[in-house]
Amino acid sequence: MSHPKTPHVVDARYLEPPEPFVQTMEMLDRLAVGEKMLLLLFREPHPLYKVLRQNGHAYESELLPDGTFEILITR
Amino acid sequence: MQALLSFENAPPFAAPLRFFITAPLLAALAGLTLAWEGGDLLLSRWHPGLLAVTHLLTVGFMLMVMLGALIQILPVVAGANLHQPLRLARGLHPLLLLGTLLLAAGLLLGKTGWLQLAVVLLLMAGAWFIKAALQALWRVPLTSPTIAGLKLALPALALTLLLGSGLALALAGGWSWPLARLTDLHAGWALGAWSAVLLAAVAYVVVPMFQLTPGYPARAGWLFPLSMCVVLLFWSLAEALGLTTVGWLVRQLAAGLGLAFAVQTLYLQGQRRRARPDAIYRFWQAGLLCAVFALLLMLTVNALPDAFSWPGWAVLIGVLLLPGAFVAFISGMLYKIVPFLAWMHLQNAGQGRLAAPSMGKLLPERDATLQSRAYLVAVLLLLLAVIFPEWLARPAGLAFAAAMLWLAWNLLSALRRYQAHQQRLEVLPEE
Repeated sequence: MSHPKTPHVVDARYLEPPEPFVQTMEMLDRLAVGEKMLLLLFREPHPLYKVLRQNGHAYESELLPDGTFEILITR
Repeated sequence: MQALLSFENAPPFAAPLRFFITAPLLAALAGLTLAWEGGDLLLSRWHPGLLAVTHLLTVGFMLMVMLGALIQILPVVAGANLHQPLRLARGLHPLLLLGTLLLAAGLLLGKTGWLQLAVVLLLMAGAWFIKAALQALWRVPLTSPTIAGLKLALPALALTLLLGSGLALALAGGWSWPLARLTDLHAGWALGAWSAVLLAAVAYVVVPMFQLTPGYPARAGWLFPLSMCVVLLFWSLAEALGLTTVGWLVRQLAAGLGLAFAVQTLYLQGQRRRARPDAIYRFWQAGLLCAVFALLLMLTVNALPDAFSWPGWAVLIGVLLLPGAFVAFISGMLYKIVPFLAWMHLQNAGQGRLAAPSMGKLLPERDATLQSRAYLVAVLLLLLAVIFPEWLARPAGLAFAAAMLWLAWNLLSALRRYQAHQQRLEVLPEE
C-alpha cells in the first residue's frame, strides 16, 4: 500500500493490539535513517509515541474527517 | 489491548482492581435494598429508598469504576501521566466507599449527620481526583476528540459533585431549595456532561479497537463533548434565571445529543469486522438499546407531560439508563480490562521464564457470557417491576444483586488465577 506522503504505510485500522505497534516497529527497522513511514489508526497511539520519542524518531499526526489518524514517522 | 493499558509507569494490579471489585458489590447492595424495601420504592423517583439505590449505582458502581479505570488509562488514551497513581488509588478508594455507604444510608434512613459526613468524604475524593487528573491533562495538547472529552468531563464532574453536595446538605438542613429542579440539573450534569462525555471520550478509542469497527467521524467526535457541555451550561443558566421554556428546550437537546451518540455507536457496531460477538459487544449492544429507549422516552415524556403524567415513567427512564445502559457499558469494559491487566502483570513478572496464561484462561469467555445473561434477565425484571412493583420489585432486586455478585465473583476468579500463577513464578529460579 502506498500513499502520497510516503510509500511505506502500515494500515492498522482493523488490527488488534499489539499488531499495530509490532508492525510499526518492524517497518521502522527496515527503513533507512531519514526515511518516513505512515501509520493509519482510529486512535492516537500514546504508548507508541513514547517509544518513538525515546528512540529519537520525529512524528506528526493528523486527524482525517473519517476518524483516521495519519501518523507520519521519520526513522 | 496492550497499547491501551500497558505503560511503564502503569500502577500495580492492586491499584485499579480494588475499585473494580468493590463496584459490583455496591451495585449488588442496590439490588438488595430494592429487595428489602419492596415495591413502594419504585412508585416515585423521590422515594428515599430509590434515591439511595440510585446513588449506590451512580457513585458506588459507576464513579467507582470510572475513577479506578481513569487512573489506569489516562496515560494511554491521552498521554497524561498521573503523579503517584498508587497513592491516589489507595486514598480515593476508602473515601469513595465510605462516602457512598453513608450517602445511601443517609438518604434511605433520613440520617442528616450521615449525609453531611458523606458530602465531606465525596467532596474530598472528587477534589483529590480532579486536581490530579487536571494536573496530568493540563499540558496535553488538544490533538484528539478523546482528549477534548476528558478535559471537558472533569469540570462537569466537579459541578455534579457540588450540586449533589448542595442538594444533600439542603435535604439534611431542611433548606428551602427548589429540590426537584436542582435534582434534574444535578442528574443532567452527572449523566450528560460527566458520564456520557467520559463514555464517548473512551468509546472513541475502545469501540474501534475492541470491536474492530470503523472510527467515529472526526466532526461528530469533536462536537458531541463540547455541545453536551454547552447545553448543560445553558440549562444551568436557564434554571438560575427562571427561563422555563429555554430550560425545557435544552433538556430536549441534551437527550437528543445522547440519542445521536448511541445511534452512531450502534451503527458503527453494525460495521464491525470481528465475526464472533464477545462479552463487551453483547453488553454494549444491550446498553445502547436501553439508552436509545430511555432517551426516546425522555423526549416524549418532556414533550407531552400531560399524556405521560404517571410517575413511573421517570423511574422507567432511570432503570433503562442506569442498570440498563451504564452498568452494561461498564461491565463490558471490566471483562476486557481485568483479564488484560492480570495477563500484563504476569507477563512482566514472568520475564520469559514462564508464559502468562492467556486472557481467555484468566477470565473465560463462557463465564462472562453466562453472567451477561443473568444481567439481562435482571434488567428485564427491573423494567417489569416498575409496571408491577408489588409482584416483581423483590425478585427483580434479588436478580440484579445476584447478577452483580456474579460479576464480582468472575473478577475475583481472575484475581485468584492471577495469584496462583504468581505463586508458581515465586518458586521458579531467577535467571
